[in-house]
Amino acid sequence: MTDADDLPNLLPGMLPRLWAFALRITGDQHDAEDLVQRACVRALERSHQLKPDTAPLSWMFSIVHSTWINELRARSVRSRSSMQWDDALLETVADPTMLTPEQQVSNGQVIDAVSRLPEAQRVVMLLVAVEGLSYSEAAEVLEVPVGTVMSRLSRARQAIGAHFGVRDGQKVGQKMKSTVKSKGEVS
Amino acid sequence: MKLDDILLMAYVDGELSPQERQQVAQQIAASPDAEERVAHLAASRLPFREAFGSQKLPPVPDSLTKKIEELARAHKAAAANSAAIASTVNVAAPVTPVAPVNPVSERSANDDQIEHNAQLPPSAPVRSRLRFAPAWLAVAFVAGAFCFGAVLRLAPGAIPGDVLTTASAGPSPWIRAVVDYQKLYARETVALGMVDAAVSSQTVAQIRDDDKLSLRVPDLSAAGLQFKRVTRLRFNGKPLVQIEYLPPEGPPVALCVMKDVKPDEAVAQSKVSDMDVVTWRQDELHYALVGGNKAVDLMSLGKQISGRGIDQLFGKNSAAAPLRTIS
Repeated sequence: MTDADDLPNLLPGMLPRLWAFALRITGDQHDAEDLVQRACVRALERSHQLKPDTAPLSWMFSIVHSTWINELRARSVRSRSSMQWDDALLETVADPTMLTPEQQVSNGQVIDAVSRLPEAQRVVMLLVAVEGLSYSEAAEVLEVPVGTVMSRLSRARQAIGAHFGVRDGQKVGQKMKSTVKSKGEVS
Repeated sequence: MKLDDILLMAYVDGELSPQERQQVAQQIAASPDAEERVAHLAASRLPFREAFGSQKLPPVPDSLTKKIEELARAHKAAAANSAAIASTVNVAAPVTPVAPVNPVSERSANDDQIEHNAQLPPSAPVRSRLRFAPAWLAVAFVAGAFCFGAVLRLAPGAIPGDVLTTASAGPSPWIRAVVDYQKLYARETVALGMVDAAVSSQTVAQIRDDDKLSLRVPDLSAAGLQFKRVTRLRFNGKPLVQIEYLPPEGPPVALCVMKDVKPDEAVAQSKVSDMDVVTWRQDELHYALVGGNKAVDLMSLGKQISGRGIDQLFGKNSAAAPLRTIS
């Protein structure tokens, strides 16, 4: 049985990740619920278009994303560069043990930094850094060239790095210099 | 040369070959701007997945879980059913007149509608556009109910003979199925269809030759019922014949026939799913006359048909004469 035939069986299992993704890109529970439902309807309607070499989850992310983009266009919320996060909704668990000694950045700060990114960069970060998609998978999801994914990701990461770099001052920059040097020497 | 950001990202993530890495490192060393960008990229190597994994999201709403399960179930049922119907239609295709309620064509039409709506730039919020979805779902659910009912009732019937139970033990599964099917028929469903004598005649011949059913298509014009069409269906893989008649007014009446090797059974009336049904068994054929039309006396019709007091249409030698009377 191909994934396309099996899609009705796969959907319930994918639901938690689709829900989390929808929640993160919409920032609203009602929107997320409608979005996931609509995306599933569309996916089942076009299950024959799911190619054997495409991961069903990536394909579903793609449909969720394009459905949401269409929705945003319909609502004419083009200027919505970053979502107004419902902080009560997306509560972050404060867990000091999660802090890495080097970065000293809390989970909440990481999430916050990503949520401040412009929409296009934020979605790329969610797909690649959070969902673990490859660049090419993310490119398929977003229907853009791989180069676009990489440059958005690079800009997103520079913005995030700059955010924490400013906070940590020279420390990061100096640390990097030594890294660069050591890498240069090794090769 | 200005180092591009993608290259710098690959450098920071250790994705370059040793040689490339060396070249890039040299260029970075010569460019304070590149050095700063590299510093930012390196500072962005954060535990994103862990951070988002620790995010306490609201659980998947039960309503959504249920909806998706229903969707998946309906889709599976629709796929299974359309496959079953497709095989039936394929068999009957050369001889069946254009059916106003061909489940396959209906489903396709809805597919197109969804496809169309999904591709248009949406003009309404998600919530309102979602209402388009039930169009094909409605069909899927009906189909699903049809299949589900059939499967469920057939499940205990490990012995094939038990599949067609006697009237005393409640309606047979196939009769329940045709009743549910007939409920979808409105007067308009059959009223507008032209009677195609040649096609009907050919269908009847196939039923007799291929399906091995010694079918008689009763001419009920004396009772005011106009023959409209005869259709070959399948129930549980076995031939099922549906003959539609149109009374002067009100919903149509169907005579459905399936092979059943049990002893003959007298004409009996019952109610199945709020529809009047008259059944009997004769010469290894099980008959069901189904209608939701108060103006038609099904019991009397059933007795007349079973008593062979009625001429048949498309008879081997009498095809020409009765056809003229109904056309």
